Amino acid sequence: MSHANHSEAGGPTYLWLAAVPLSLFLLLVWGLSRHDLPWHVDTPWVPSLGLSLAFRIDGLGALMLALITGIGTWVFVYASGYLAHEPRRGQLFTVLILFMLAMIGAVTADNLLLLFLFWELTSITSFLLVGFNHEQAEARAASRQALLVTMGGGLAMLGGLVLLGQMAGTWTLSGIVAAGPTLANDPRLPYALVLVLLGAFTKSAQFPFHFWLPNAMSAPTPVSAYLHSATMVKLGIYLMARLDPAFNDLLFWEVMLIGSGTVTAVWAAVLALRERDLKRILARSTVSALGTMTLLIGLPSAGAGLAVVAFMFAHALYKAPLFMVAGNIDHATGTRNIGQLMGLRRAMPWTAAAAVLAGLSMAGLPLSFGFVAKDIIAVAKAESEIFTLVSYATVLVNAVAIAVAGVAAVRVFWGPLELPRNQVHEVSWRMLLPPLAIVFLGMEFEFFPALADPLLLAAARSIAPGLGEVSLSAAYDLEALLSATGITALIGLLFFLAWDRMHEALHTLNRFDRYGPAALYDRLLHGLARIAAWHTRHLQHGRVSGYLQLTLAALLSMGMFGWLHTNSRLELTWDWPDHAWAWAVACLLLVAGAAAAATLRTRIAVLMASGLVGYGSAVLFLFAGAPDLALTQFAVETVLVVVAASVLPHYGTAPLQQEPLRASSGVLAAAAGIGVFLLLVHLSNLPVNGELAEWFGRTSLAEARGRNVVNVIIVDFRALDTLGEIAVVAFSLLAALPLLAGLRKGRVP
Amino acid sequence: MTPRSTLLMQSARPLYWMLLAAALWILLRGHNEPGGGFIGGLLAVAGSSLLAIILGIPAALRLQPLAPLPLAMVGVGLAVLSGLAGALHGLPFLTHLWTGIGLSTVMLFDLGVFFAVWGALTGYVYALVDAGETAP
Repeated sequence: MSHANHSEAGGPTYLWLAAVPLSLFLLLVWGLSRHDLPWHVDTPWVPSLGLSLAFRIDGLGALMLALITGIGTWVFVYASGYLAHEPRRGQLFTVLILFMLAMIGAVTADNLLLLFLFWELTSITSFLLVGFNHEQAEARAASRQALLVTMGGGLAMLGGLVLLGQMAGTWTLSGIVAAGPTLANDPRLPYALVLVLLGAFTKSAQFPFHFWLPNAMSAPTPVSAYLHSATMVKLGIYLMARLDPAFNDLLFWEVMLIGSGTVTAVWAAVLALRERDLKRILARSTVSALGTMTLLIGLPSAGAGLAVVAFMFAHALYKAPLFMVAGNIDHATGTRNIGQLMGLRRAMPWTAAAAVLAGLSMAGLPLSFGFVAKDIIAVAKAESEIFTLVSYATVLVNAVAIAVAGVAAVRVFWGPLELPRNQVHEVSWRMLLPPLAIVFLGMEFEFFPALADPLLLAAARSIAPGLGEVSLSAAYDLEALLSATGITALIGLLFFLAWDRMHEALHTLNRFDRYGPAALYDRLLHGLARIAAWHTRHLQHGRVSGYLQLTLAALLSMGMFGWLHTNSRLELTWDWPDHAWAWAVACLLLVAGAAAAATLRTRIAVLMASGLVGYGSAVLFLFAGAPDLALTQFAVETVLVVVAASVLPHYGTAPLQQEPLRASSGVLAAAAGIGVFLLLVHLSNLPVNGELAEWFGRTSLAEARGRNVVNVIIVDFRALDTLGEIAVVAFSLLAALPLLAGLRKGRVP
Repeated sequence: MTPRSTLLMQSARPLYWMLLAAALWILLRGHNEPGGGFIGGLLAVAGSSLLAIILGIPAALRLQPLAPLPLAMVGVGLAVLSGLAGALHGLPFLTHLWTGIGLSTVMLFDLGVFFAVWGALTGYVYALVDAGETAP
């Protein structure tokens, strides 16, 4: 059933929100036209942690900003049409705006910790956006997966960034890039780089973390177009490109990037052939493209820097429209399965036009910026000596890209219409204009390279400072056309024609799925849940005697450990305290209370007996010179006993069950008692440092105008601690209220 | 409802006021003699609990300045506020100030402690008493 038959849900369309990224984009253009790059600001925040609000925008940053705000503008327009029937669209737009701000922060942050902060913010907002349709279990699982993978990587990256910061002695990215060559001999460098690359690889879905991106396609399509093709997944690429000038010469860096990039590009291309869902096909090809970008960053030549930025630019300009096309088809037909989609050309002419033009760019054919990018990539690869294997791999990857472009742009639109004609119709202008506008922009850059050239060259120079003057226009002679596209286009055409057959053939790969990283992720998650369940069953069993035994045993073993690792001897000295008779009475109360609590079987009597223990300790405090403590103890004990006594009868008046006596419990109890006694005796013989007590006693009245030192400490000298304590007390109630409400309804026994 | 003793019912409110007066007295004298916000707050909790057990939770709530959770939050807020006074004078947060006539931000802080304890603990007590009365 088609969505457009629904009446639009009431409320605002939020089309005006597109003005936010648009104005930021215009601001950027205005800034670029007026001021030379780089721009930076640096405001101290927490200097002792090396944290400052340091932002720096150079060519690469400006290119990312242009993509974030430029593509963002059209994504917002598209979303206002796509979500016209979605009652919760306000939430989505809010998170989308937050995401955009986090992205802007991430690509402009110069401080390492600030970068991490924005980096994780993009992960969190991405989690919320992927899980937007939270009533679907699939969307929940996908968003959790995206969050765990990218945040786990982000944490590793934090470790790497801290290491880098310590090695370089600076907390700015620009400082690390400047210090780069001097770090080469530091033994910690490989660890730091592996950790940082973990962050970049997880974010940009590099093998073996490639599995989360296709699953993230359960996000609404505007989100997929924005986060998972044009911007967020390029953050990892951005970071690698940012650090590349520092580590470009390291073999380690080169091998990691070229290796991982090649494997990702090839494997994702193969996996793309296995998919039937148009969005997932596009997602796989996005992963493949990200792999190519990683590979290009790893190449040592200066031209590779230009190739990365050109490809990144071209990819954003064709992949976002293709996602929008997939969204339009989904919206109009209710399916994204390419097996059911054919001949949509007549019903959706404008969508078809956008698809064909974007497909041209993806295939790297003339009339598109993709053609220019492809040319530059070919030059870059020719400049660097790369393994033959890698160049074969790129032929395969490009061929699959052409086949995917064919599927998305040709296959679903041509041929006979599979669905009933009256079910399919063109979508609203708000969903048509954005893909068309972006592909036309892409074409414009191909014909008028001067518009994008300065930005792309500036971006390329921040990756490869040694880049000379180059022109970004494509060569239009036939020979170059054939050499750049010829053989790959041919193979791509073959793949396209044989798509269904290859799809069938690749089904045999399914049996390896349970060894793949996605399966490993599932096993880890299940294992975690199983461990948690096991641990809860064995530690949180609900038997108080069990808790007590565990606590006492732990206490004893810690005491034993401490005893064995000190060489102090136990000294028994005995001084009669003042008011010895009062101490004796208090001890008698304590012992009597404890004995009664242990032997009595009537609930209320046990409660009273335990109250006796409390009062006994209060009496001890009183004569030990701690009247405040004694008062508190009296008050607490009274409230506790009174409240418990009033509540207890409602839970039944039957006598308590007699627990069977066990020798092991007896031994444990005796050992704990004797152990604590010995510990206390030992402690009371240790020398006490009275410096603090003396200081508090001296300054209490003089500086804090109070004679009760205890209270002065609580409210003045250590007021911050007290503030923390009362905040904990107050907020514990906030946390407990839902549980207590459950108690009332009888849901919790 | 279990039958209740008339003596207890009649003495509940006077007892409450006496306990509250004692609580305030303990709170105010705390700076120089044993006492303070914590102990005072606990005494107030004792009073409120007594009311809740004998006359029911609504009666106890009526004689409390605010419901438990807001009261606790106001307490924390007062404590923070008392610290801001010093901060406004360019001193570190929670540096206390005194006026000439013995009033000080210390008192405000201790009042915050008092309210936080009173509010938070009565929140628990009311919930327990309520659960006990509705228990099977």
